[in-house]
Amino acid sequence: MRALLDRTFREAGGRVIAALAASFHDLDLAEEAFAEACARASERWGSAPPVDPSAWLYAVGRRWALDRLRRRVTAAGYRPEAPAPPLTPEDQAMSLDDPIPDERLRLIFVCCHPAMNAEARVALTLRTVCGLTTNQIAAAFLTPEPTLAQRLVRAKRKIAQAGMPFEVPGPDRWPERMDAILSTLEIAYAQAHADAAGLGPNADLAVEVLGLTALLARLVPEDAEVQALAATVRFTEARRPARLATDGTMIPLTLQDTTLWDTGLITEAERYLARSAALCQTSRTRPGPRALQAAIHGAHAGRRKTGVTPWAAIIGIYNALLGLRDDPVIRTNRAVALAEVEGPESGLAALDVTPVPGWLPWHAARADFLGRIGRDAEALHEFEAALALGPSAAEQRYLAACGDSCRMRLSPSSA
Amino acid sequence: MQYALLIYEPESEVYPAGEADEAWHAIVAAHMAFGGDLAQSGAMRSGAGLKSASLATTIRVTPEGRTVHDGPFAETREQLGGLYVIDVPDLDAAIAWAKKLPIAKTGSIEIRPTLGMPEDA
Repeated sequence: MRALLDRTFREAGGRVIAALAASFHDLDLAEEAFAEACARASERWGSAPPVDPSAWLYAVGRRWALDRLRRRVTAAGYRPEAPAPPLTPEDQAMSLDDPIPDERLRLIFVCCHPAMNAEARVALTLRTVCGLTTNQIAAAFLTPEPTLAQRLVRAKRKIAQAGMPFEVPGPDRWPERMDAILSTLEIAYAQAHADAAGLGPNADLAVEVLGLTALLARLVPEDAEVQALAATVRFTEARRPARLATDGTMIPLTLQDTTLWDTGLITEAERYLARSAALCQTSRTRPGPRALQAAIHGAHAGRRKTGVTPWAAIIGIYNALLGLRDDPVIRTNRAVALAEVEGPESGLAALDVTPVPGWLPWHAARADFLGRIGRDAEALHEFEAALALGPSAAEQRYLAACGDSCRMRLSPSSA
Repeated sequence: MQYALLIYEPESEVYPAGEADEAWHAIVAAHMAFGGDLAQSGAMRSGAGLKSASLATTIRVTPEGRTVHDGPFAETREQLGGLYVIDVPDLDAAIAWAKKLPIAKTGSIEIRPTLGMPEDA
């Protein structure tokens, strides 16, 4: 029973807290009211939760918050408004019928306002829009819980006192605002993705990001970048079951067994990607960086049907990405594609045009190309450089195994 | 809500000749126009442009007492050059004004909600 209640509260949390926050412009009050409503629900529902638990929680939370506000106003010495008459059973039934307004988009805009501390945005979004606990978020981001709680307190205080608008801004301001939202979701997903096994606290996080991107894609159906991000996290998440060998070693994308990929997620991803592409076409705008990234993931996903990766097409998309933003990270990824089409020498040459020392994927790619050319001593050196950068356990096993093969080739007798 | 827009500029880089600088005259004119727009919108509450930070006098308050010093409160690359107090519905509106605020070259604009009288909102 307790488990059922907890799940119900968890599922109702985001939407109810968002609706309460939007009507009171106070996230703390909204959270307290929701907690209070849950406490009452635990006492009253017994073994039979109402048909629409969210509506019940919203109605009770709202009433509690109104009471609290009135008392606060009285305490501050202002003339209180006339107290609301107690709810009659009819009122209660009526308010339960009221659909809860879906204010989550508004809340996302508030939590990801560019005036919010960037580190606080992710935590605040997961806390208020997804209803994750401070404890869960702290665990996912390896942040001490008190630090995270402090960050949330500061963020909520700023929202309450700096006049942060609880509005979905006009579309003219979306490009600027949406980018902050999408990068917040990207940070949350990167955290979920970093845990290759998907067993830790981050597994929850991946589910939330899937949910949030779907929600955003539904609420903002005309934004190609929003649709594209929903596609990218699904393509990536679909590969999770194929990312680890049984001994816990990372398996790079190109070596993954495609039959392990989650076809349900890939199908969803392809739908979002198609929508994103269609939006770019009808609005005659060039695809943005997220649309292009999703297209690259889409191309990789194609391997499960054709058995081959369309590297030439992928290079083309990287070229388009470089046209938007010349970035050493994109150049490194492009070099990897180039090595597949023109050979590792070309890949190596491309990597060395814009070195990114200290960035693990650059060292790993360089090590791989050097090994393929037969320059094993240099390859070994690069694998060691990559290992020194503190990769995850799975990636460490993979890089160590690659390094070992270099050593074997260098001095077969010693093996 | 009322906000102060605090304007910081690297004074010596932008106005090397101080008030004799051409850039100075240009920015004063730009602020006149900006203040006019603010007033016309009804958002203007008050404001002041400040003379050079080299003219500043600072009083330091310590448990031992209050002592007078030459110079601005802090030696930083950017100095407070002026401020507006505006009354707008929310932070986004304040940000929109701040984005239009004249700045000669580089600088920063800090937006701070003011401590108000009890609001009748």
